[in-house]
Amino acid sequence: MTDETKKEEFWRWTEANWKNPDMKLEDLKIITAGIDVGSVSSQAVIVGDGQIFAYGNMRTGSDSPESARNALNYALKDTGLHEDRIDYCIGTGYGRVNVPMADRSITEIACHARGANFIYGPEVRTVLDVGGQDCKAIRCDGRGKVTNFLMNDKCAAGTGRGMEVFADLLSVPITEVGDRSFDIKEEPAPVSSTCVVYAKTEATGLLRSGWEVNEVLAAYCSAMAERIYSLIERIGVQEKFAITGGMAKNKGVINRLMKIMGLEAMKTQWDTQIAGAAGAALFAHTLVERGKGRK
Amino acid sequence: MIEQFKQWYDKRHVYAREWKERNGGKIVGFFCTYAPEEIFYAFDVLPVRVLGSHEPQDVTEPHIFGMFCPFCRDVLAQGLKGRYDYLDGIMIAQSCLHLRQAFTSWEIHKNPGWSYFLPMPNHVQSKRAIPFLKEEYKLLIEKLEELTGKKITDDDLRRGIKIMNRARQVMKDIYEFRKREAPPITGAESMYMTCAQFFTHATEFAEVAEKVLVELETRKLDRDPGKRIMLVGSENDDIEYINMIEHLGEQESVGCTLVVEDHCTTTRYFWDLVDESIDDPLDAIATRYVNRTACPTKDWPQRTRLKRILELAKDFNVDGAIIVQQKFCDPHETDIPFIRKFLEENDIPTYFLEFDVTVPAGPFAIRTEAFLEQLGMEDDLF
Repeated sequence: MTDETKKEEFWRWTEANWKNPDMKLEDLKIITAGIDVGSVSSQAVIVGDGQIFAYGNMRTGSDSPESARNALNYALKDTGLHEDRIDYCIGTGYGRVNVPMADRSITEIACHARGANFIYGPEVRTVLDVGGQDCKAIRCDGRGKVTNFLMNDKCAAGTGRGMEVFADLLSVPITEVGDRSFDIKEEPAPVSSTCVVYAKTEATGLLRSGWEVNEVLAAYCSAMAERIYSLIERIGVQEKFAITGGMAKNKGVINRLMKIMGLEAMKTQWDTQIAGAAGAALFAHTLVERGKGRK
Repeated sequence: MIEQFKQWYDKRHVYAREWKERNGGKIVGFFCTYAPEEIFYAFDVLPVRVLGSHEPQDVTEPHIFGMFCPFCRDVLAQGLKGRYDYLDGIMIAQSCLHLRQAFTSWEIHKNPGWSYFLPMPNHVQSKRAIPFLKEEYKLLIEKLEELTGKKITDDDLRRGIKIMNRARQVMKDIYEFRKREAPPITGAESMYMTCAQFFTHATEFAEVAEKVLVELETRKLDRDPGKRIMLVGSENDDIEYINMIEHLGEQESVGCTLVVEDHCTTTRYFWDLVDESIDDPLDAIATRYVNRTACPTKDWPQRTRLKRILELAKDFNVDGAIIVQQKFCDPHETDIPFIRKFLEENDIPTYFLEFDVTVPAGPFAIRTEAFLEQLGMEDDLF
């Protein structure tokens, strides 16, 4: 093994699959799937009679159809469910038109709003989704229907991929970034740029001038929170407010963001990364239920 | 027949060079649609608008600020790269400072030997705007006499008016077809047409456009029109974007047709005709340019454009409007919050996109599609 391959992958977040222990496959009437092929992660959610039956969440590969396939297989693993039994499948996310098993596609904007409505509850009115390479602020109604939305423009600073690069740069496992960013004596000023290239330069400079790694993490999380806030500010927040996507798991960014916003985000037991795929599967369920499924 | 306009758009310089060879006439490039083309036609000079090429370029950095709009930089790039080197003159009618800087820089570095700045009044809502502009036109005429060595009569001006009005009227007639439930012409095709007006002689344009008008009577497009979209905003000839959104329906579950626009490359340019019943032709021309649908650089203190935008939105039965802005275009940026609020109050949903020389296809596709979903998400899904 070369030194390069032995190198620890600090950016790597935890892939996971799950099966609902309270649901029995043989009881299910309508089974639908939603597959969200994002720029960084892919999820498949299986919905049985309107409830989440199983899901898989993993890293996106270089090929969208293959990523969709892998995510679906991961979700189906050990569930006893065979793909043929799925009544309808909707693809979403960046690679939505390249999901081979999908019957149709719907944008991740619509799917995240619908998914958040399910995993957080129908009170949610503003959804912030911070994904691998984009950030969306979505306003929705009590059914999870989009009423307005904004996306980051041109640059992917302040998104998940930026955080991955940063975790690698500072050799801090990405899952520890949040906690460690609060293990500091005093909150530092944010780094002046969330541009990944510049932030690296700035972080390297700070480390050289004697900053602790945790302080640099805090400064970067804080800068990301500010950047995300500028997007939310443009759309205006109506409570209740919920966060989806991988960044929802990083409290270094999220707690700082909530402090700037002066409110509390809703809480959920669900994996926040599955919101898009869940929304897609739920749309699929509704279509089948109304006889608008596969012909 | 309709393909002709794409050809003219794509091969604008070939057309101009050939026109010059055929007619031995002079060609003047103009920078803004406030240029009174009637007067140029009265002199038998061919006016062509300078538009950008939507290609990344590296020649304007030393000449124009990075925070000036991408359109004016793209325009200047065309000049600096010599793509309009067949021009006998360049002129601008005052509109915005960004474009004027592009003009001035072109004047300094690539002056074809004749250049003219027409002080088109900004305060078009003033009663003095028309007499002021008329006097300015007289100075322009003197300058054009120098260029051509000709004198013109009122009849020449009336001829110029007729040439321009004919092209305008046929475009308006073409737009009538876009009101149909299934428009027989796509937004992209229509944009090729409206922009081809800038690069061709108005008479030659009108002759072909009138044939298209006949064709449209029976033309049927093999596509689902989907949602009816309006584009509103700054200079825009990003046909690639329009093509992309009009093809969304082939892959995605929502599609759309662009049915009308408020751009200076489309309706703001041709919608208003010169009133031929006004006796003095210069009065008539000045009246037309002062009263035409205003560019936001001139649309104050009253925002008169709002009324026109709403009329178009209603007449063309639009489902939603995409508001586009050239990055850093301050005049449009100032108007956008008012336009969006006004349209939303009138039950026309809006979405905003910021355009550059090139636009990011992936993210813009997602955003446009999500807007289309928002307009027409079947209630079956909820």
